Amino acid sequence: MKNFFVILFIKGVSFFLKIFGKNGGNLPGKLAFKLNPNILKCFKIDCPVIAVTGTNGKTMTNNCIVRILEDDNKRVISNLEGNNMETGIVSTLIKKCSLTGKIKADYLVLETDESYVPIVYKDLKLDCLVVLNFFRDQLDRSGEVESLILKINEFLKTYDKNLILNSDDPNVSRLAMANPENKNIYYYSVDRYKFATDELREAGEGKFCPFCNTRLKYKYYQYAHVGKFICDKCNYGGNEIYNLLENVDLENRSFEIDGTTYTTKFNSIYSTYNFAAATTVCKLYNTDLISMKNTLENFVLNNGRLEKMVINNNDTIINIAKNPTGANVSLRLVNEDNEHKEILFVLNDNIADGKDVSWIWDINFDVLNNVDRIITSGTRAFDLAIRIKTSNYPVEKIEAYTDIYEAIEHLYEKNTKKYVITNYTATQDTRHKLMRFKEKCGDK
Amino acid sequence: MKELRILYLYPDILDLYGDIGNIKVITYRLEKRGFKAVVDTYSINDDKPDFESYDLIFAGGGADNEQQILSQDLIKYKEDIKKAVDKGVFFLLICGAYQLFGKYYKGVDGEIIPGLEIFDYYTEANPDRSKRCIGNIIIETNLDGEKVKVIGFENHCGQTYDIKSTFGQVLFGNGNKFNDSSEGYMTDNVIATYLHGPLLSKNPELTDFIIKKCLKRKYNEDVELEKLDDNFENLCRNQLFERFLENK
Repeated sequence: MKNFFVILFIKGVSFFLKIFGKNGGNLPGKLAFKLNPNILKCFKIDCPVIAVTGTNGKTMTNNCIVRILEDDNKRVISNLEGNNMETGIVSTLIKKCSLTGKIKADYLVLETDESYVPIVYKDLKLDCLVVLNFFRDQLDRSGEVESLILKINEFLKTYDKNLILNSDDPNVSRLAMANPENKNIYYYSVDRYKFATDELREAGEGKFCPFCNTRLKYKYYQYAHVGKFICDKCNYGGNEIYNLLENVDLENRSFEIDGTTYTTKFNSIYSTYNFAAATTVCKLYNTDLISMKNTLENFVLNNGRLEKMVINNNDTIINIAKNPTGANVSLRLVNEDNEHKEILFVLNDNIADGKDVSWIWDINFDVLNNVDRIITSGTRAFDLAIRIKTSNYPVEKIEAYTDIYEAIEHLYEKNTKKYVITNYTATQDTRHKLMRFKEKCGDK
Repeated sequence: MKELRILYLYPDILDLYGDIGNIKVITYRLEKRGFKAVVDTYSINDDKPDFESYDLIFAGGGADNEQQILSQDLIKYKEDIKKAVDKGVFFLLICGAYQLFGKYYKGVDGEIIPGLEIFDYYTEANPDRSKRCIGNIIIETNLDGEKVKVIGFENHCGQTYDIKSTFGQVLFGNGNKFNDSSEGYMTDNVIATYLHGPLLSKNPELTDFIIKKCLKRKYNEDVELEKLDDNFENLCRNQLFERFLENK
């Protein structure tokens, strides 16, 4: 079929999905691939394509980059809803292109699933790849972290455009060596923050130097295996930093770049790393700094990623945690907050979550600062309750309800601050039920 | 105070799938009863441990490339480990460690990683890399004459052959090979299995069986274990049995 008709047809499908209140997500893209397997080659794109990938923080970093560019008066097309596989990306492109397949924008910014980077950018010409981090994630679905890194490494062997890398993740910064000819490597880093530790506190990857198999030495760990590392034998780790975030102050939600202080609405170390990645992109593409400062001050996400709600007069913070690192940074946030609070932790084992829930044993529950009660929910509520109990948190303060709404009702029996941690498929479900409960409470 | 001395092998390398949870569960169930758990660790570059001096030796599963690095290290202690097994030290080996204690592991490309040859079984990778035994698994094992269901999660491409005495019969899931009827390897003082989960987290009876065994050997007496509050464990087991066995 002619591309014109494919595009027209898929646009029609997207339109009907919208009319019937369905968001569509990957469906239009799936259809487009059926009609033309080479559909990705059909788009006419003149603007720079920027891709954001990594295990955790893709959506936040991607959306932050988009917001900064838009506030700087640039036209940006992006998959803001996080449809980050090839079908989702095609859905976004078809929705936004002209009937001849032309993309009219100043930038195309695409959050991209790690395993799809080589597939999508074989056909879409990439101008900048941002790699955030690699953590263990859904081992039963995506396999070991190492095989994923090797896939991207293979892709980068022939790539010579901008490559933005997290210097503090040994699994990421090694990608700089994939193509030794590429001179467009830009590292970002975050200076030691207040709660960094000398010892690894949470499950981490990449304990050995990827080049000589020597055990890596760490000066400090920021979270998981992200930190200042060096290989004594081959000096891997001594990178020149292009964008450094200094004086990280989580209480005041601020950091410094090149002597300018930036304030945000986020107070976690891992969101600081996301900002480090986003600001690197903007620095590289010469965004106006004053506009960026304003954008960062106001930037929020309303999709269960550090989302704030007030329910029944209780401050409630919702955060998604799809893997041990995600959960550990959520608990860091809980522990860095001295107020009394209760936690609702929802764990599902649907296919999209990964059926293996053993990763909860890599979550560090040993220290829980002023946590008065923990309620577990989701299809694997009991697994979670066992896990928390075994960390010696008092068993009488743990409650488990497989039904999420029931768990929410119990959560708001007492008036304290609430932290809600949810894994992948649990996130939207829990958000909707929280909102339903909020309405029932008569909250506006 | 009675105590158990546990040696945890390569905790920083064989650290996938939450296998560390097994140590946490044993420690928890010992301490709740007023016993002491001494957990020592050994990894590459550490001093040689005195294997025989321990009551329980544990090792879990790891990533393939890291597993290769450590197999060269582990093989240095072949004779010491063999002696410890013969002396009756209890060994709990999960997944990668289960494979390493056998004759060999043959990879997808035919490369042979030699095992410790402590047990007779051997493992061969499934030729199709993309096909792994992955999923929830329930087996039935025999603990001192009592039939007990054990629940876990398996994730392996290795197919293990020549098992003389199995850990259990598969009720749901794969086992030692695709669609196998048997899972793991078991002797009087060894449990080697593919079950993650972690294994001991949802199987309190099995944990107590191991604890009792170790205490009996060490103190030469039957130690009565105080009952613990296993409410969450029982709810979890019932929920999963219903889900996987009744809707089969």
